Amino acid sequence: MGNEAIARGALEAGVRVVAGYPGTPASEIIENLAKIAKEGSRKLYVEWSVNEKVALEVASAASFAGLPTMAVMKQPGLNVAADYLLHLSGSGVRGPMVLVSADDPGALSSVNEGETRYYAKLMEIPLLEPGDFQEAKDMTTWAFKLSDTIKNVVLLRTVTRLSHASGTVVLGEIPENGSNAFFKHDGFILDPNEGAILSPPVEYKHTEQQRKLKIAEALFEDSPFNTYTGPEKPELLIITSSICSLYSKEAVSILGVRDRVGILKLGTTWPLPPKRLLKHLSSCDHIFIVEEVLPFLEDEVKILAAEHGKTLGAKFFYGKKEGYLPMVGEMNPDKVAAALSRILAMPQPGMDDVYKKRATEISFAGSPHREATFCPGCPHRASFWTLNTALSMDNRNGFVCGDIGCYSMAVLPAGFSTLKTLHAMGSGTGVASGFGKLGGFGMSQPVLSVCGDSTFFHSAIPPLVNAIHHHSNMTLVVLDNSGTAMTGFQPHPGLEKDAMGNVAEKIDIPEVCRALGAEVRVCDPFDVSESRQVLLDLMDRDGVKVLVLKQSCALSPEKKSLKKYTMSVDQSLCAGENCGCNRLCTRIFACPGLIWDKENNRSRIDEVVCAGCGVCSSICPKGAIMKKEAV
Amino acid sequence: MRILGSSELCEDVQKKDLCVDCGACAGLCPYFVSHKGKIARLFPCTLPQGRCHAFCPKTEIDLNHVSETIVGKSYDGSPLGHMRAIWKTRAGRLMQGKGAFQNGGTASSLLVAAMASGLIDAAALTRRKGLIPEPFLATSTDQILSCAGSKYMASPTLASVHEYSREKGQKLAVVGTPCQMTALGLIRMNPLGREDFHDPVALSMGLFCTWALDTRRLIRLIENRVNLQDIQSMDVPPPPSQVMTIRTCDQNLAIPLDEIRTAIPAGCSICPDMTAEFTDLSVGALEGDPSWNTLIVRTEKGESLVEEAVRQGYLERDAMRPEHLEHLRKGASAKKKRAFIMARDKHLLNTDPAKGPSALIIKEDLVKKLLGEEGSCLH
Repeated sequence: MGNEAIARGALEAGVRVVAGYPGTPASEIIENLAKIAKEGSRKLYVEWSVNEKVALEVASAASFAGLPTMAVMKQPGLNVAADYLLHLSGSGVRGPMVLVSADDPGALSSVNEGETRYYAKLMEIPLLEPGDFQEAKDMTTWAFKLSDTIKNVVLLRTVTRLSHASGTVVLGEIPENGSNAFFKHDGFILDPNEGAILSPPVEYKHTEQQRKLKIAEALFEDSPFNTYTGPEKPELLIITSSICSLYSKEAVSILGVRDRVGILKLGTTWPLPPKRLLKHLSSCDHIFIVEEVLPFLEDEVKILAAEHGKTLGAKFFYGKKEGYLPMVGEMNPDKVAAALSRILAMPQPGMDDVYKKRATEISFAGSPHREATFCPGCPHRASFWTLNTALSMDNRNGFVCGDIGCYSMAVLPAGFSTLKTLHAMGSGTGVASGFGKLGGFGMSQPVLSVCGDSTFFHSAIPPLVNAIHHHSNMTLVVLDNSGTAMTGFQPHPGLEKDAMGNVAEKIDIPEVCRALGAEVRVCDPFDVSESRQVLLDLMDRDGVKVLVLKQSCALSPEKKSLKKYTMSVDQSLCAGENCGCNRLCTRIFACPGLIWDKENNRSRIDEVVCAGCGVCSSICPKGAIMKKEAV
Repeated sequence: MRILGSSELCEDVQKKDLCVDCGACAGLCPYFVSHKGKIARLFPCTLPQGRCHAFCPKTEIDLNHVSETIVGKSYDGSPLGHMRAIWKTRAGRLMQGKGAFQNGGTASSLLVAAMASGLIDAAALTRRKGLIPEPFLATSTDQILSCAGSKYMASPTLASVHEYSREKGQKLAVVGTPCQMTALGLIRMNPLGREDFHDPVALSMGLFCTWALDTRRLIRLIENRVNLQDIQSMDVPPPPSQVMTIRTCDQNLAIPLDEIRTAIPAGCSICPDMTAEFTDLSVGALEGDPSWNTLIVRTEKGESLVEEAVRQGYLERDAMRPEHLEHLRKGASAKKKRAFIMARDKHLLNTDPAKGPSALIIKEDLVKKLLGEEGSCLH
């Protein structure tokens, strides 16, 4: 897998400390390295930090002490770490340090499709983008070398289709354990190797930073990671990077224009090596730029062309700005092929129109209706059942500010459409803190926010402090399912184990909230009536309240495939469509473990899918859903 | 009388502030609950027809239909409804001092008498928890007495009727306001023609009512002036008094009626019924004497209970002064007229179904007679 290749590349560079926060599509990098660290065969410390900013800080500390180190996160995590990165790129590093940031074009597992690449330009650090699986390994190893040369952090960008796809990779050697950690700090203050590490004096350090970048630029001119395939004087030059280079290759092959179209695949994308670029720009007047998501490369190539306009002459650009490729969503070979056929004015060998129409019809009408929903046995379904009914009963137009995790799905019918805002990690509580102060402007709607247990430690504590300090009126509901579930069940400070499986200090969420000064209650979300009563009571009062709904995720290791209850629907008690309940169990509660048997006009349990949590038995008005303790 | 579904109920009643929290829609299914004086629909229900809409006293009530079914006579718009007799009454020697009666203790006494005779085995009543009234299914004399005292706020009493019905009993007494007794009438009519329906009601007893208060609005009015948990009783003394009195163990609060009236839900303004016309019996205050009640007897069943209660000593009875009866008639007539005018102005009286919902339906000639005007007011 691409992520495994990156992990291997870091090992081959002799990495010692790796820190990050779970985030798709980056998570497997740390998971693989944690496995190695757990084995104990080499000196390696791997940490799931509380958030990405801290992860970057932790990794950089090891670098300051002379060790090769790496920080790993998904793109929005880079936003969280950005403040530190600004200052780190200004201060520089000592041991080689690589920052891996994974983008999610098309937002397959995110609520945004943010861009990593601009950070390289903004923070003035080099940017590398592997184009395939071998490069994922090789460029990671080389990134450490580059960082060592320029003594600054190097940004390596990957995307979902590189991180999560697989290919053949030839492995290299992993070096033996290196030097000890020591932070030399008593030298001359401005000495980058022996003095204090800080970004001021700013102009001086900033000049140094730009000088380092120039060194990288020079090294990029001869980089083997920038490759060209195609005729010497192509009719059309494709400039591309990352996994888009494979899409481009495929599109060119589909249209059979390999002898007409050249592909310049860039692996070193910031700063662009000008001499290399100019060489290719002079070979062709028609430039087609293929990248995702925003026109980063496109803009920089155009700037370069404009700067050298006198010698290059006029160029025709075919990019996102000209409308040849979309500026949103994931790239794929079809989109590239469609653009190519437009540019070259050739018919695109695509799908037969009649077939296309039929296929579209069938895929909508013929496929079973499947909504995104929570797993059977998920505590969130029960929690949002409680939140939603309590808010309805309270009847003052109350609402819930959402946050990031599996429970983000509660914007959908799966969570009874309970969430009414959804932004970034920890934002739910920040937004709620704001809403909770609007009483003075006549707002009397109850304000709630949710966050997961991992999200709580990541970034919900500061806004909670804010709310308490400013006497905001809100209720935070912590959905504690004992793990960072959405990203693959990684540990966090609320649990007793760390990334490498060692014993770690468990921090108690209710205690923290109490110490901060909130009114705190803890309930089991599976006890729906008790939870609702407690929540109604809390919503009636002013100030900051915290309700912790604690119940393990259905997929957590200790729960998985263990059913607490055997569930069944008594076919004589269930009245089906004649009940008058309008199929509350299968239409509203809609756990996948409940099936609507149209032929028999009854509900029943799918024993294979049902997780045996027992919650559905408390929602049937006829008491037809039975639960029996499983032996 | 059209029967629609929960979405129409929410649109036509709750969203228009016509809901009076009578509880007829609550407790029938998982979707409607009453919480702190307000009805909430927990989830969207897509059924086109439902008992929730059928039972609601603010949707498409054909007053003539209810009158004929419950009292056995057509709706003629008379101020006090059909009466076999009207008396002044109070707790008899067996019941003196037995409960914290608001006035004469008539309602409690009759209920105890009914239970003693085996006519009823339970009573759907209301008891007070601090300020907030809550429905209570009483099954003993002590429990009946614990519910004595006027509440002035709607409590979803009818939810208890549904609870009792589920056990298939048929000896229930129900005490409630006119809107609740109208809804009870609808329930007993089995408007959706369900085969599994059995009338659970053995005795229906209405309470006189000019208006009731929205619980949440009332709380907002008084929560800064009194500890809600300590409230023991409330009263609106007869004119010339212009206050509502609220009593706790150490406080006697008087709040101007002008302020109190801001907490009356709009649903009360279209209610034409002051004495709960669709019942066996109706009980209210007696003008000029807080230690007695006014009792209206409407049906044979009501009459025989009263006779028995008097004979055994549960109830004391005397003739009512003609001028008191006249004043009562006048007050009831004024409320009726006000309500029909308001309903007409809100386009809720005899509305053309193509144009919108009706709250009240009565015969056209009755409209003219009651509003004292010529010309149809059909909209």
